[in-house]
Amino acid sequence: MQHDNMKIQKRREYYLFSPWLRIFHWVMVDSIIVLFVTGILIGKPLEIMALEPTQTSMLMNWVRNIHFLAAYAFCASFILRIYGFITNKGDRLFPRFWEGRFYADTIDVALHYMLLKRFHRSYLRNPLARMSYAGLYVLVAIEVLTGFAMYYMTNPDGIGASLFGWVNVWLGGEMMTHLVHHYTAWAIVLFTSGHLYMVTRAEFMEGESEVSSMFSGSKLLEHVPVDASDVDVTEKV
Amino acid sequence: MEKRESLWEAYLRRGLSRRSFIKGCVALTSLMGLSTDMVSKVVEAAEKKPLPVVIWLHGHECTGCDEAFIRSASPLASDLVLSSIALEYDHLLSAACGEPFERHLEETIKKYWGNYILAVEGAVSTTDNGVYCMSGGKPFVDTFQRVAKGAMAIIAYGTCAVSGGIQGAKPNPTGSSGVGHYTGTKPIVNVPGCPPIPEVMTGVVMHVALFGKLPPLDSENRPKQFFGNRIHDTCYRRPFFDAGMFADRYDDAGAKAGWCLYRLGCRGPETYASCGNLRWYQGMSYPIQSGAACIGCANSNFWDSGASFSERLPKYGPLGDVDTIGAGLAIASTAGVALHGAMSVIQKQKRAAEEAEAEGGAHK
Repeated sequence: MQHDNMKIQKRREYYLFSPWLRIFHWVMVDSIIVLFVTGILIGKPLEIMALEPTQTSMLMNWVRNIHFLAAYAFCASFILRIYGFITNKGDRLFPRFWEGRFYADTIDVALHYMLLKRFHRSYLRNPLARMSYAGLYVLVAIEVLTGFAMYYMTNPDGIGASLFGWVNVWLGGEMMTHLVHHYTAWAIVLFTSGHLYMVTRAEFMEGESEVSSMFSGSKLLEHVPVDASDVDVTEKV
Repeated sequence: MEKRESLWEAYLRRGLSRRSFIKGCVALTSLMGLSTDMVSKVVEAAEKKPLPVVIWLHGHECTGCDEAFIRSASPLASDLVLSSIALEYDHLLSAACGEPFERHLEETIKKYWGNYILAVEGAVSTTDNGVYCMSGGKPFVDTFQRVAKGAMAIIAYGTCAVSGGIQGAKPNPTGSSGVGHYTGTKPIVNVPGCPPIPEVMTGVVMHVALFGKLPPLDSENRPKQFFGNRIHDTCYRRPFFDAGMFADRYDDAGAKAGWCLYRLGCRGPETYASCGNLRWYQGMSYPIQSGAACIGCANSNFWDSGASFSERLPKYGPLGDVDTIGAGLAIASTAGVALHGAMSVIQKQKRAAEEAEAEGGAHK
């Protein structure tokens, strides 16, 4: 059936994100919100108007436990992401430093983002985005390492402490671990504001389905992105 | 080498009963943080092991560790020094002085080469060939290295000996550092604290003395039985932390009521020591119990931890701490992306207009 107000377009489907990556992504979003809020509360606890601990709801205890729960949920979901990483090509969109094209593309995109160029070539994921996500993983890795280093040291003889205790030694004391954990949390918040803006901009101004693909897993594009060979392509009308 | 007597022989010589010897061994066992089924081993060691020769050196420090040590109640420091170890040389506790005293050190080193325990307090100062800490006319760093070479094991007492101490704080004009870098491959036990708890000091030396080997150590070479717990996890004020009840000032109602000192920058959550369970002076008190936030004196570099002792986070002048700066940056970046978005829209509209114009031109 055809109507006048209907537009027929040919689009290719680029299947990027496995369900595992998408589940991980949204668990990460939720857990980072929870982790940040509870983390700030641990750093600067609220005042409880009570005269006896028995009259309170053990709020700090709760806040800490929620923080730990969210941390475990986050780490557990990362296992799914590893599975997706192994099985699906689109889950492996690294910054390709080893390719000469990467640097030219970076300049191309950067000039556009500095508003010095009217447009940049289309990418499934542009080099700047790839670098920023790699950077986020570094930040998250710092949070996980420092977080577990503090958490497991309640029992310095345990397995957890022997896995993560070296972080405290390496940073020169557990106080430093606290500070690094706290400062990196803010760096992640700053990443978030840039990330939200860039994906929204790509989705609604550049027709790149940056937002929708994190729900559906696929990008349906009219144009052919430069880095299309990084994933498997299915033609769709 | 002359025959040295064991603890049991020392008891016999002084006419003490077997019963008091066994009692002493039981006390020692619990002191060393060992479980009670180790008593028989302790008794055996105390019967047979000759009293260990100890050389006690003092470097760049305030001798506060010794001041703590002589206040040990169980065992009494006097008992330890006079009958549980053979203390051959100690700057602070020796009655002798001058040439004969220094000569005795040389004789002791020679006589017991490879068999003595070296206890050391204080940092080594290294700037300008170590002239900022001299003893007997020689830089301490040289004396220490010479004595350390012949030691069976080294016990570093106090934060100075472990990691440099206050004089190692920035900018560290005397180049002070912990003794650990100057011991070569000798086994070392770190007993940090400013000063360490007296009973911890005696407990460690007794452990080495009786068993002839180091106590179980953690990754920073600290004896596990005394440094295996966070102060925060053993603090009697912990329930106030869990309940969210904090003192905000040292003179407010919370401080008076004995609530948690976390907001006042207490380093209990970052510090490993026996303050919370063993406490000081026969379990009488410890800093937090007396109302002062822990400053983490058993941590290396606690004096340079960034934040002042009464704050949890470092402050950067008028900018405040990382939370204010972070919130400010978050607002700024939000404003930044909003502005960038607006400019992108304008740019896109211009581009669309130009493209339309070009298309229009082509049609004509």
